[in-house]
Amino acid sequence: MAAGDAPQRPPGGAGWLLLAPLVAWAAAFVVAPAAIMLAYSFAHRGTLGGVVPGFTLEHYAALLDPVYLRILLRSVAYAALTTGVCLAAGYPVAWVIGRAAPRRRNLLLTAVMVPFWTSFLIRTYAWVTILRSEGLLNSLMMQLGLISSPLALLYTPGAVLLGLVYTFLPFMILPIYASVEKLDRSLVEAALDLGAGPLRAFSRVVLPLTAPGIAAGVLLVFVPSLGLYAVNDILGGGRVDMIGNVIENQFRGNARNWPFGAALATTLLVGFGLVYALLNQRQRAAAVRPLRA
Amino acid sequence: MSRLARRACIALAALCFACGGGSGEDELDLFAWSEYVPRPVLEGFTQETGIRVNYESFGSNEEMLAKLLSGAARYDLIQPSEYVVEALVKEKLLLPLDHARLPNLKNVGPQYWGRPHDPRLEYSVPYMQGSVGIVVNVERVKQPVRGYRDVFQAKHAGRIVVVDDALEVVSWGLATLGLGPDQVSKESLARVRPVLASWLPLVRVYDSDSPKTALLGGDVDLGIVWSGEAAVLIREQPGRFVYVLPEEGAHMFIDNLAIPKGAKNVAAAHAFLDYVLRPEVGRKISEAFPYTNPNLEARKLLSDAERANPASYPPGDPQLETFRDIGALAADVDALFTELKAKSGS
Repeated sequence: MAAGDAPQRPPGGAGWLLLAPLVAWAAAFVVAPAAIMLAYSFAHRGTLGGVVPGFTLEHYAALLDPVYLRILLRSVAYAALTTGVCLAAGYPVAWVIGRAAPRRRNLLLTAVMVPFWTSFLIRTYAWVTILRSEGLLNSLMMQLGLISSPLALLYTPGAVLLGLVYTFLPFMILPIYASVEKLDRSLVEAALDLGAGPLRAFSRVVLPLTAPGIAAGVLLVFVPSLGLYAVNDILGGGRVDMIGNVIENQFRGNARNWPFGAALATTLLVGFGLVYALLNQRQRAAAVRPLRA
Repeated sequence: MSRLARRACIALAALCFACGGGSGEDELDLFAWSEYVPRPVLEGFTQETGIRVNYESFGSNEEMLAKLLSGAARYDLIQPSEYVVEALVKEKLLLPLDHARLPNLKNVGPQYWGRPHDPRLEYSVPYMQGSVGIVVNVERVKQPVRGYRDVFQAKHAGRIVVVDDALEVVSWGLATLGLGPDQVSKESLARVRPVLASWLPLVRVYDSDSPKTALLGGDVDLGIVWSGEAAVLIREQPGRFVYVLPEEGAHMFIDNLAIPKGAKNVAAAHAFLDYVLRPEVGRKISEAFPYTNPNLEARKLLSDAERANPASYPPGDPQLETFRDIGALAADVDALFTELKAKSGS
């Protein structure tokens, strides 16, 4: 995420010692589980769940079924839409907070983080109370005479999107805020002095300088919203499956098909890896461009 | 080592200790459905015997199986449904019960003996029984609803909640074809496909955890749900909701307590089983979770209103079928449901 202008040195002995806990943590909780998942995805299904050792590609072949492709595409679409709305809504907020006077800035930051003090599930169920037929929003609009019969708000794709954006908005605001706060105001002034309009100053100066924050925000929102199916279950009524639902069903549902679930999860992991690599490369390219200009 | 690191180490060590503990003579590790064993029952048992109960919960039979089979944790008592008892017995993963230590087993009604999953109750004790049936909001639905076919009508589009459970939904389709819940096969799945393909686009909500929520909030008017959920609706708002056992054929589930292989405290497990089978304890369970109590002596202690709740005790006490273990076909059932759901949604 760092701009990469400081020369990078390989860590010395003390550095490795400091890194050891992180490396051990990653090995135990990231690499090992991923390896187990990979191994399971080639095994045979056990009758009660679990796996029977062996090697087969049938679970990856099953993935090519258009049904799962369609579910995957829909999940990606929801995640992309969530990311887009979060970016559009979050960037101005992050900008305002980053440019505010220090004391107000802390107050605003706290306001962004307050929702984290309550459990995610409780906040999502709160939306059920607001959106349902006899809920707060419908009652309010009926009282005001805006509508004559309740609108179907809950259990709709819109409710799912609302829930996802609500959950992940802070994850977009915070990294962009960090970039905005570091942004040297005189650079913007210089751009304006040298004849750039506000739009041009934004696209040529502000946007490239806050790009690391945007990239971090996009990753922090896109990746988890692709896997978070609880919002879909609670606010969407579970009417259409997300890829997360399908994976869950292989382990916790009727299917008891662990290897297939593992194949799905492995595919997602590889997909995330590719997206990350792509974003990283773009960012590196973006970091170099201003120097050449 | 920095102070922070040292503290972290101490905290970790304490955590390990806490995890490793809990295997003494005076403890019982119970692995049961979430929200299914009332706290007063656990406390009463501890007060009387001095045995502390560690209640770990699960949300589906398959989740329970996954943890049980992983062998990472050992349990003294588990709470599988009947088709899982059948599978566990087949795989020899349950310990036989010592009926001499269960004098209260006599309270279990005769209709719970001779069931295919465990005919002589050698491995399991019925805890609660429920059915799956239709709830109708009679304020909004005026025509009589008698079966699955009446629910899945075009005029009810977007007004239906069903449990999010592939095997359940498939069994309803089978019932309309005149097939029982135990007749799942590749052929019957092919026959049920067009039925479900016409049904699923009408469904507004899939919810296994709390299907009553959508009905209570007025978002849907009909539901096919667990009888315990229906019983709560009828208890909370009598007159607004009615419960109907589908005319095409209803089925039931029996949730049981059983001792898995590898249990450490078999004596305490038996003591708990016999405690739960006491009439006054069974009464407490019914109060909290108004399913059908298999304990006939406990039923006698219920209030008239509780006994008259048609979701808990359907009139005429109909004899219902149960699911059977379907082995690898489970994956086909899931694939069919997933596919039809994906095609019916937006």
